[in-house]
Amino acid sequence: MESYRKKGDDELVRASLEGDKNAFGEIVNRYQGMVARTVKGMLGDSVYTEDIGQEVFIKLYHSLPEFRGEAKLSTYIQKIAINLTLNEIKRRKRFFSMFAQKGNSEMHEIEVADHESEEKRDAREVVSKALMSLDPKFRVIVAMRMLQGYSTKETAEILDLPLGTVLSRLSRAQEHLKNILDKL
Amino acid sequence: MKVSDLKELMIRSLDKETDPSASAREIENAGAVFGFSERFTDKVLDKVFSDSSAVVRKIEFVRDLNNVFYRIALSGIAAIVLLLISLFIMEGSFSLNSFLGLGDRYDETILCLLTGN
Repeated sequence: MESYRKKGDDELVRASLEGDKNAFGEIVNRYQGMVARTVKGMLGDSVYTEDIGQEVFIKLYHSLPEFRGEAKLSTYIQKIAINLTLNEIKRRKRFFSMFAQKGNSEMHEIEVADHESEEKRDAREVVSKALMSLDPKFRVIVAMRMLQGYSTKETAEILDLPLGTVLSRLSRAQEHLKNILDKL
Repeated sequence: MKVSDLKELMIRSLDKETDPSASAREIENAGAVFGFSERFTDKVLDKVFSDSSAVVRKIEFVRDLNNVFYRIALSGIAAIVLLLISLFIMEGSFSLNSFLGLGDRYDETILCLLTGN
């Protein structure tokens, strides 16, 4: 696997298309952190989000023949992750509107690792709870900036939104976030 | 980092003037690290590369089902032919009534009930 780490994304994509399992494994290794930040940032830090993460890479593998390399592979993966996550949010809303009381549509379980310090766990809990309290259209923008470090321009490109929309949502999201964090 | 400082950092990270990648790094350093389990890559690879064998299994199942269907269909056709032969031998013709298992006589009580005569 060491030799794969040095390879560029294009090379790994080509090798994956030829059925090279290790090449695709390297793509998963390289981008799983990014996908985790998006999926967990938007769906909450629960164990269930790992299934969505797996789905992102399965979908990526099956759509690799259509990947023309015009955009960066990371952008392509990010788009898949956002689409699947937004679908999951819609699915959960539908499910909870049928079977549960209003306001219970998002899960706030926090996955706890044994070796983790209390301070780190608190930090994750604060970030996760704050994000989950936001409306999904603000949440996606905040998650991309706060957790992924994307600029406004990059966010607009990935979400296929006008720059002005991203800027106004960011500003409104900041207001909402202030109110949410005051209560936490 | 204190929770109050983290909250401040989170709000600041959304400022237009703030460098988003630097603030994302700071938030991560504060402990807000989101990741999947250690065996995540293996799980994905297992699913991706067992998918193709699942497709092969599915094709094989459909092929087996087709074979079974042909056998059942052929047995059915053979049974129908035998039935027709036995009908022909017993009745001496292939009339509609013999197919339907009806006698040649009418039940006059039904006609009386329907017409009143």
